[in-house]
Amino acid sequence: MSIVIAICIVILAVAIVVGLVRVLTAKDMGSRAVVGDLVYFSAIGMLTFIGMHVSSSIVLDGIFLSSMVGILATIALSRILTRGYR
Amino acid sequence: MNDVLATTLVGVFGITGSLIVLCSALAMFKVRDALSRINVFSPATGLGMPLIVVAAYVWTLDDRGFDWTSLFIAILAVLCLIIVSSVASNTLSRSSVLSGQPIHRKTAPNRLATPPAGVVDEDPDAAPETGD
Repeated sequence: MSIVIAICIVILAVAIVVGLVRVLTAKDMGSRAVVGDLVYFSAIGMLTFIGMHVSSSIVLDGIFLSSMVGILATIALSRILTRGYR
Repeated sequence: MNDVLATTLVGVFGITGSLIVLCSALAMFKVRDALSRINVFSPATGLGMPLIVVAAYVWTLDDRGFDWTSLFIAILAVLCLIIVSSVASNTLSRSSVLSGQPIHRKTAPNRLATPPAGVVDEDPDAAPETGD
C-alpha cells in the first residue's frame, strides 16, 4: 500500500512542478490563475495520500471540505483579473 | 475487505486520478491561450479528483469498515468537486474574457469577436432613429 501511495504522491508532485514551470513561462494572467487552481487541487490530492500514509482518520473530511471551499480561491483570482468588477 | 484487493483498487483509482491531473498539467503546454487552459483543466477536477476521492473511500473502507457517514461524505465530495469546479471554471473563463486576456490568433470561429453570419449586430445603446 505504501508503494502505491508513494507513486501517487510523486505523480502529483510532478504535476505541481510542471504547473509551476508553466507559471514561469506564461505571458498572460489568466493562465497563471488557472495554474494556481491546478496547484491547489494537486496539493489536496497530495494531502489526501499523505493522510492515507499516516493512517489519519480525517482523509475523507479533508478532501470534502477542501473541494467545497476550492471555489473561493478561483473566484478571488477571477475578481483580481477583472480588477474587482463582476 | 481483502488487503490485496484494497491495495489494487487504491492503486488503480489513485494512480489513474493522479495521471489525469498530470496529463492536464502537461496539456497546458500544448494549448496557447488562457481559455483553452481553463478548458483542458476540467478533466483534472471533473475526473481526476473524483477518482482520488474514490481511492480515499476504498482506503477508509479497508481501514475502518463500512460506515454510512463515510459513504455520504465521499458521495458529497464527488458531487462538490464536479459542481463547484464547473462553476469556478465558468467564473474564471468569464473574467478572463472580460479582462481582455489574449486569445490565440488561430482560434476559429471566434464567436466572441465576430457574430455568426446572418446575425444583425445592433447597438442597444445607440440613439433611436427619428422617423419623418
